[in-house]
Parts: sequence; structure tokens; C-alpha cells
Amino acid sequence: MRRRRPGLFWVGAGLMGLFATIALLGPLLAPYEARLPVGPPLAPPTDGYPLGTNDLGQDTLSLLIYGARTSLLVAVAVTAVSTVLSWGVGLTAGFFRPTEAPLMMLSDLLLALPSIPLYLLVVTLVGPSLQNLVLALALLSWPAFARIVRSVVIEVRSAPYVEAARSLGGTRAHVARRHLLPATLDLLPTKLILTVRFAVFAEATLAFLGLADSGSVSWGTMLSNAFDDPLLFSRPVWPWLVFPPAVAIVTLILATTWLSTGIEGSIGGVPESVGAAAVESGPHAEHTESREGAALTGPRRRSRSR
Amino acid sequence: MSGDVLRLAGRYAVLAAAVVLLNFFIPRLLPGDPLTFSSGEGLDASAPMSAAAKEQLRVYYHLDEPTSRQLLAYLGDLARGDLGWSIARPSSVGALIAARLWWTLGLLLVSLGVSLVVGVSLGLAAGRRPGRRGDRLLVSGMAALAAVPEFLVAIGLLAVFSTGLGWVPLLGGQTAFISYGGDASGLLSRTLDIVSRLTLPAATLVLVGAAGFVLVARDAAAGTQGAPWLIVARAKGLRERSIAVRHVLPNIAFPLTTYLALRLGALFGGALVVERVFSVPGLGLLAYQSIRARDYPVLQALFLLSGLGVLVANFGLELLYLRLDRRRGTSHA
Repeated sequence: MRRRRPGLFWVGAGLMGLFATIALLGPLLAPYEARLPVGPPLAPPTDGYPLGTNDLGQDTLSLLIYGARTSLLVAVAVTAVSTVLSWGVGLTAGFFRPTEAPLMMLSDLLLALPSIPLYLLVVTLVGPSLQNLVLALALLSWPAFARIVRSVVIEVRSAPYVEAARSLGGTRAHVARRHLLPATLDLLPTKLILTVRFAVFAEATLAFLGLADSGSVSWGTMLSNAFDDPLLFSRPVWPWLVFPPAVAIVTLILATTWLSTGIEGSIGGVPESVGAAAVESGPHAEHTESREGAALTGPRRRSRSR
Repeated sequence: MSGDVLRLAGRYAVLAAAVVLLNFFIPRLLPGDPLTFSSGEGLDASAPMSAAAKEQLRVYYHLDEPTSRQLLAYLGDLARGDLGWSIARPSSVGALIAARLWWTLGLLLVSLGVSLVVGVSLGLAAGRRPGRRGDRLLVSGMAALAAVPEFLVAIGLLAVFSTGLGWVPLLGGQTAFISYGGDASGLLSRTLDIVSRLTLPAATLVLVGAAGFVLVARDAAAGTQGAPWLIVARAKGLRERSIAVRHVLPNIAFPLTTYLALRLGALFGGALVVERVFSVPGLGLLAYQSIRARDYPVLQALFLLSGLGVLVANFGLELLYLRLDRRRGTSHA
């Protein structure tokens, strides 16, 4: 049954489309090459520089447009890798019993660690190139959904139709691909949206803490650079240094949040309230959802409702 | 009963051991020589380190020995509370962290307490009549707030209250270059100074933290509507406030505890980031400066301590969880 999607969903979808367009057409839209100093430093908005310039004389609007490319590139890459890992681990752990304990132990460990200190440690060590950043975020963000996928698989694997497929001689790989995988696909939209949001959030936060690819332009780096100036707030142009990247990050993140209102309640396998709470409860929802989901459907099941 | 506790303790002991081992193996397994980072090489190419100095460092960090011996040495150092020496500053890592720990911990605990109380109260109020306009507004507002990175909320508050209205000082943990008298009034004005400067960082963490509690408490409270015990409580004519506190709250303690346990790591991370915005001289600022200086031992210690800290806190919460579980099992079964 298809239910009517709320208006906010369409606002979110429209904004996401807008950001994607800006990112794709970046070089055509930007008035200048973002990294070149093209104007006087710290200029307020004028004809040539619609949003002013930063301390190096780079054009803020151009930086903003190129920053959208970085944010979305990181988001798409992290989401792709992380989703494949979540499903790979979840299906494997749910269906190939011997792998279950070690894989779940590993995901438990990654979920228990405070993520920001871990990112700081790993990304500082390997160097904050775009590629390393994507790998670090993806390799550390799969466990939540791996657990949920696994719990769905466990639910389904004893279903009559799966038993039938196996007794007809279906190989494990065949059953996993044709019968278990489809049962988990309801989770996919939620995973995609949450991970996109997580990646945007994490990229901006790490860049703000000084962990960004020095070769690429990013909204978080723009803010970090602004805050590097101890006299930032005594300069009359400070709003033009701080607000454009801040508003861009907030808008992109809210767009993903609004987008997720369209899929609330359609989360298969996970009890609706848990799914909804996770969708609503922010960037760390990756973590929330998994533990709650695991607590409700996994082996650590507890009597929550009587 | 005690079997549950033992199993839980075992689980957390394994997790803690894994954190300690990860801290040892991450720099050794990731590409690059640990020494390159531990010695700060590459930072300052104009002053390369002499071969003798390198060898000295190699011996100091036991890098000339096989990995198993290195691991033993590392565990031995840890057992003695030795976290190594900072690269960027003439100080041991332990001393650096000890000097800053209380800023972060204070900020974190105060904001956690306030956001718990505020968030749960709001959530209880909203969950009483789910679906109303006020409830819907609160839920969508809180969902949006919970999604925004902490440092952006911090920047927003800074822009409004510090630079805009000028109510609180801009940056720093306390006013620089001021000496207070040693007497009571000096202590008082110093305290007031610190409090006024920590108001905005704490408010940021409260806003972001409370949003999640509102959503969880509201969802759980809404789920209790129509429960027989609630109808009975209403029928007895109890006041709404005492119904909320005495009857609804114990029933939603479960999801709240779970959520709190999940959030601890994220809250700590949020405090680190917010400190950079407001230049609070805590662990967050230390982390930021250490990233800049590639002060690797400091970052390692931060990871180790926060990892173990979160595990200890989670262990405590899970014990609480067991207690709740037991109470629920006996009183309501």
C-alpha cells in the first residue's frame, strides 16, 4: 500500500535535487576557480563577489559551490561502501552460522567505541585525503545496519518459503540472493538516507576539527579556517565568513531529515516505533537504531512491552 | 541474577581488552611507521631528526623489539598509568590530559543532567496527547535539532547571544590576565566568570542532547496511552504531574536508559567539537591542537580514555538496566 508522502518529504527531495545539480554543474556555476585568490581579502559582498571573500581573497560563493561537490562526493562514496558492507556482513552473519559470533562481536565493538576520538586517531594517522576519509567513514559506519539486516535474516530464514527453497535443493548462495536479500530491501531507503546524513555530518565535523583534504574545498574547512582567526568576531565581515558554509551544511542535513519523513513507518522487519525513532533521532541514529533494533529482535531480547 | 551480572562483566571485559589492543595495533597496522608519527617527522622538514635521536626514540618506544615484546611493554606502561610523552609539548600525555579533563567532564555532566531533565519533561508532556499540533511541532523541531551538527548549533548560539545580544563573553574558559584574591569573594567572582563563559557551550550540548531525549521519551510515553494502569491512575483522580512522575516515568525508563547508553560516546564527541567553537580549554581543544601538531600519543590517549570511559559508563547503565528488568519482572509479572 502506498501512502501519501508528507509535504516535507517533497521539500527535502527538492533541496537534495538542488544540491545535486549545484554539485554536478559546479564549475559552470561558480564565478571563479574556488582555490585561487581572486579578490581583496576579507571583502564584504560586492558586485564581483556576491558573498564576499575570505582571508585569502578566495570568493566565498565559488568555495560554497565547490564545497557542495566535496560534501556530496563524500556522502555518495561513503554510503555506497558502507551499504555494501552492512548488507554483506548482515547477510553473512544471518545465514552462515559459523561467522555470526565473530562478525557480531566486531560490530558490537565498533558500536561501543566513541566514534569521534576513533576518527581523529585513524584519520590523523592515515592522512586526511578524500579517499582515506571516505574509507575511514565507511569502514566504521556499517555495523548498525549489519545488525538490523542480520535480525531480519534470522526472522526470515526459518520461514516456510525459505525452507521450501532449501528443500528443493537451492544452494545457500541461491537462497541468500533470491530469498533473503529481497526480504531486507525494505531497509535500504532508510540506510541510504541515514548514511548520507551521517557522512555529511562527519565530513563537516572532521573538517572543522582540522581533518580535511588540503587539496579539496569543503564547507567544514571554510568554517575551520574562519575559526582559526582569533580576531574573527572583531571583524565586521565575520557573518559572511561563518554563515554561508554553516547554512549550507544545515540545509543539506535538514534536507535528508525531511526526505526521511517520506519513508517513516515503512521500515520492514524493525518495529515501526524503533525505526521511526531512529529516523528522527539524528545523525547518531545509525547507532541508536542498531542497538534498539538488536535489543528488540536480536539475542539480547528483553521484555519491553507486556 | 549474579550470573547475568557476571556475563555482562565478562562481555565488557572483552570489549575493554579490545579497546586496549586496538589502541596498540591501529598505528602498527595502518600504513606508515609508528615512529614517523611519534617523532613528529614530516612536520618540520627543515630540521630532520638525527639517526641517533631516531634510534633513541626507537628504543624508548620499544620499536626495536618484536611485536609481542612491544605489546608487553605497552601493557606494562599502561598498568603503571604511563601514557607516554607528548611530541608537541614538553609534558607527559597524562599530565596534559589531567589538566584539561575537568573542563570537558564538567561540561559534559552538567549538560547531560540538564538535558535529561528538560528532555524527559518535555517528552512526557508531549506524549500525553500525541498527535496534537503542539506535539507535532515539537517532534519535527526536535528531529531537526537533533540532526544538526553540534558545532553549528554552537555557532548559532554564539552569533545570537554573544556577538548579537552581548549577554555572555565570547570565548575562552575564563577571563585571561586576571588575578583573583585568594579570599571567598575572589573565588566567587572567578566561579561566576567561569560559569558565564561555560553557559553557551553547555547550552549547546543541552539543546542537542535534550532533543534526542524528547523524542525517545515522547515516543515511549505515547506508547503508554490507553494502558490499563494509566486509566486506573486517571480514574483515581491523581494529578497529571504525579501520574507522569510516579507512573509513566518508571514505565519508560527502559528505552531512556538504552538511549542514554547509546548516546554517551556521541555526547563526548559533541563536547570535543563544541570546545573548539568556544575555545574552552578542555580535551576538545587539546584534540584539535594535537591534530594540528600531529601529536599522536595525545590522540591515542584520548581514544583509549574515552573508549574505556564510555565502556565503564555503559556497564553501569546496563547494571541499572538489569535492576530495572528485575524489578519489572517481580512487580508486574
